[in-house]
Amino acid sequence: MQDIKESILLKFLCYILIPIMIFVLAISMIDVSITSQYGEMEGPEEYIETEEFGREYLLTLIYKVQDIYGDKKERSNISVNKENSNPFNHYDEIEDKSYEHPVYYEVINYSNTMVSQYINYIIIDKENGNMFTNIRSNNYPEEIDKLKTEKTNWSYQDGNITTNINAINQESTKYMTSSSYSTDNLEGYDVYSNIDPNMLSYSNSLYVQQTVYNIFKGHENLPAYLIPLSAISIIIMIVYLIWATGHEKGKEGIQLNSIDRISYEVISIVIMFVIGMMMSFAVASVESQIPQKILISVFLLCYLIGYACLAVWVSTTIRRIKAKQFFRSFLTYKVCRWIKVTIEKIFRKVTDKENTNRKITIIYWGFVVISIILACTMWSGIGLLVLIAFWIWAYYKLLQYNKKIQKINEALRNIYEGNPNVKLNEEELEGTLKIMAKYINDIAGGFTNAIEQSLKSERLKTELITNVSHDIKTPLTSIINYVDLLKKEDINNAQIEQYIAVLDKKSQRLKKLIEDLVEASKVSSGNVKLNMEVINLKELLNQTIGEFEDKLEKKNLKIEMDLPNENVLIKADNRYLYRVIENVFSNISKYALEGSRVYIKLEKQKEEVYLEFKNISKDKLNISAEELMQRFVRGDKSRYTEGSGLGLSIAESLTELQGGKFKIDIDGDLFKVEIKWKSE
Amino acid sequence: MYNILVVDDDKEIVNAIEIYLSQEGYHIIKAYDGEEALEKLKENEIHLIILDIMMPNKDGIETLQEIRKDKTIPVIMLSAKSEDYDKISGLNTGADDYVTKPFNPLELIARVKSNIRRYVDFSHVNDTNGKNKNQKERVLKTGTLEMNDETKKVTVDGKDIKLTATEYNILKFLLENKGKVYSIEQIYENVWNEESYGAENIIAVHIRHIREKIEINPKDPKYLKVIWGIGYKVEDIK
Repeated sequence: MQDIKESILLKFLCYILIPIMIFVLAISMIDVSITSQYGEMEGPEEYIETEEFGREYLLTLIYKVQDIYGDKKERSNISVNKENSNPFNHYDEIEDKSYEHPVYYEVINYSNTMVSQYINYIIIDKENGNMFTNIRSNNYPEEIDKLKTEKTNWSYQDGNITTNINAINQESTKYMTSSSYSTDNLEGYDVYSNIDPNMLSYSNSLYVQQTVYNIFKGHENLPAYLIPLSAISIIIMIVYLIWATGHEKGKEGIQLNSIDRISYEVISIVIMFVIGMMMSFAVASVESQIPQKILISVFLLCYLIGYACLAVWVSTTIRRIKAKQFFRSFLTYKVCRWIKVTIEKIFRKVTDKENTNRKITIIYWGFVVISIILACTMWSGIGLLVLIAFWIWAYYKLLQYNKKIQKINEALRNIYEGNPNVKLNEEELEGTLKIMAKYINDIAGGFTNAIEQSLKSERLKTELITNVSHDIKTPLTSIINYVDLLKKEDINNAQIEQYIAVLDKKSQRLKKLIEDLVEASKVSSGNVKLNMEVINLKELLNQTIGEFEDKLEKKNLKIEMDLPNENVLIKADNRYLYRVIENVFSNISKYALEGSRVYIKLEKQKEEVYLEFKNISKDKLNISAEELMQRFVRGDKSRYTEGSGLGLSIAESLTELQGGKFKIDIDGDLFKVEIKWKSE
Repeated sequence: MYNILVVDDDKEIVNAIEIYLSQEGYHIIKAYDGEEALEKLKENEIHLIILDIMMPNKDGIETLQEIRKDKTIPVIMLSAKSEDYDKISGLNTGADDYVTKPFNPLELIARVKSNIRRYVDFSHVNDTNGKNKNQKERVLKTGTLEMNDETKKVTVDGKDIKLTATEYNILKFLLENKGKVYSIEQIYENVWNEESYGAENIIAVHIRHIREKIEINPKDPKYLKVIWGIGYKVEDIK
């Protein structure tokens, strides 16, 4: 299959065979058109004697007669001059002394039958004796006699036919009843005619017909085989060529030659021109009455050149289509593409991301120029409308642009406010805005990463502290237990007992420190699971006071409560909320001045719940509120107190984890804790 | 004489526990890892086990799983791991109690006593339950906390508890409605039978006192639970 496809010999053969087959097909069909009426019967010896020829001959004469007076048939009104209204024939009046009536000579012959070109005729109107002819002569009566006697003549005189053409003699025409073929149309005229025998030996269509007739004479059945044979072989060869063209031996895909690279319009026009030339040349040669041998060679040459051109054109068209290059090979396409690329180039310069100045310049002046152009056409109402529409469109575009800028602005504000979880859709934006969006996304991503990293490291820190605390707790257990055992021993030595008391106190402190350390690190890294539910803060305060009642009493601290009558509901994790309040109370019971008052105020504001603790510190507070809170984080100087110093820090972290706000205020000796919570 | 198996890889801790528990009259059998503990358990009649979690060879949780395959003796876990998660996993595996290091010796002793009483003495008491059936209706009970309204006697693990009249009334009310949570206001109104006047934090003080009396560790109560910001309840223990 591949070999057949790529065979040069086969293709060459096809190209050669196709014109031959077309030629065979053509002459077979001409022959069929001549001889169809004979069927299986044997036809006459000569083409001139065929019925086909006879019919055409007769028809020519009938047309001539009909054309002489035109459609009106008004003989009295005849106007045979240059202004003759008859579009087909034009006659000039000439003088002939040998004939008593006017003679009209055919100057231009428009008749469309083949025979009319070769016929000589004289037609006499019997009514007025007018003579119509295409023969130039000085003695027309003599010419009439000549016409009667010469070979291939046909005359009609007073209803009688004299002829040597058998197909249209007196007998044959009797059966011709159809109006266009009937001799009835010649009623009232005498007609004398013949075909110049020389005509048949010259190049003309009559000659072609005769030649073809002669070729097939005696083989009337041959065209019946030749037509389908040649037609099928032509179709097969054409299909093969369409299928195989462009494929070459040892090469993949469709191969294009130099012709295929010429613009399609150019090659089409050139080939059409050549084919047109060849066709008119061939036709002209057929009609030009040149000697037959020259005719044949000229005709064949024209035919072959025309064929070659057509073959080149068709094959290049097919190859282009097969190579998917058809439209691309159009000159129009190339021109359009060039225009498109050029416009794109300009457009790209306009939308150059970096050079916003140039962009704005072009857009702004473009707007101005278009406005001016539209303003010039304002005199027509449509121009004004278009101008207004253009302005509205430009305004809309500006608004859209501004909307995009606002989006970017919003993203930036989010990042600024510490919420880096922003993601701008870069695809929606273009130009500088797109670049801005990309930068913002990168920054936001960086922030998010950093936050995740720090959260992770916080978690690791918590885990480390938890694990280390386990290892510290085991030896601490022994220390505490053996100190306790020592305490129980009967020592009777005040000094040693005092030492043991210190050991006891400090080991307990160490225990508390470790517990607080683990909790503080867990809470500050947010590593706790919250179980949020609605809680009555008033109830919680009362419960906590109940827990601390003895401790407060021991220090002689008096609680002054200011609670609202109704319940104060907030959403929190009750265990962790208790830890917050517990730590505050624990702080008060440790550091409040003995015998002073502690003020607790709970207020329900519009959206918030406000809780305030106020007490007088027993020690001078030479430390700022912030420093107090950050002690654990910063590793502060003052660590002389009994607690770990982590209680308030834990309370703050826990409050914030649950969505509240925890604030410490120090004013002289007044120590104030403010807790705010969203009201439920 | 009850035998207590103490298992911890830290010898000093085991020795300290031995000193404390010996003073209370218990006999101590020592083991320093899980494998050894299981061996000692086979060789001796053990009434209670104190088990550390982080140990070589076989850790406390694995050992506990082995023990629980065929024994119901009380096990007190003793561990430095103080996370809620650790406590829950220990109790879920079948421990009866969980004490964190560093521990308070008194608390440990109390828990040992409580568990032994429940394991040994109570199984004996339960046998005599049938005889006291007519009394039973007047006995309010949750777990080993019992309140006899007839004799006004309150016991935990069979140990008498001395309560004031107010404390008794509050505990009685909560025991009668065990499992339910009551706010301070509700408790006041129910116990005093009068409208609360707004300064009822005295109730909170009473409840703390009750907790201190009936609970081994009042900060981690077993019977009288504090639901912070909501109220109090007596746990319903079967």
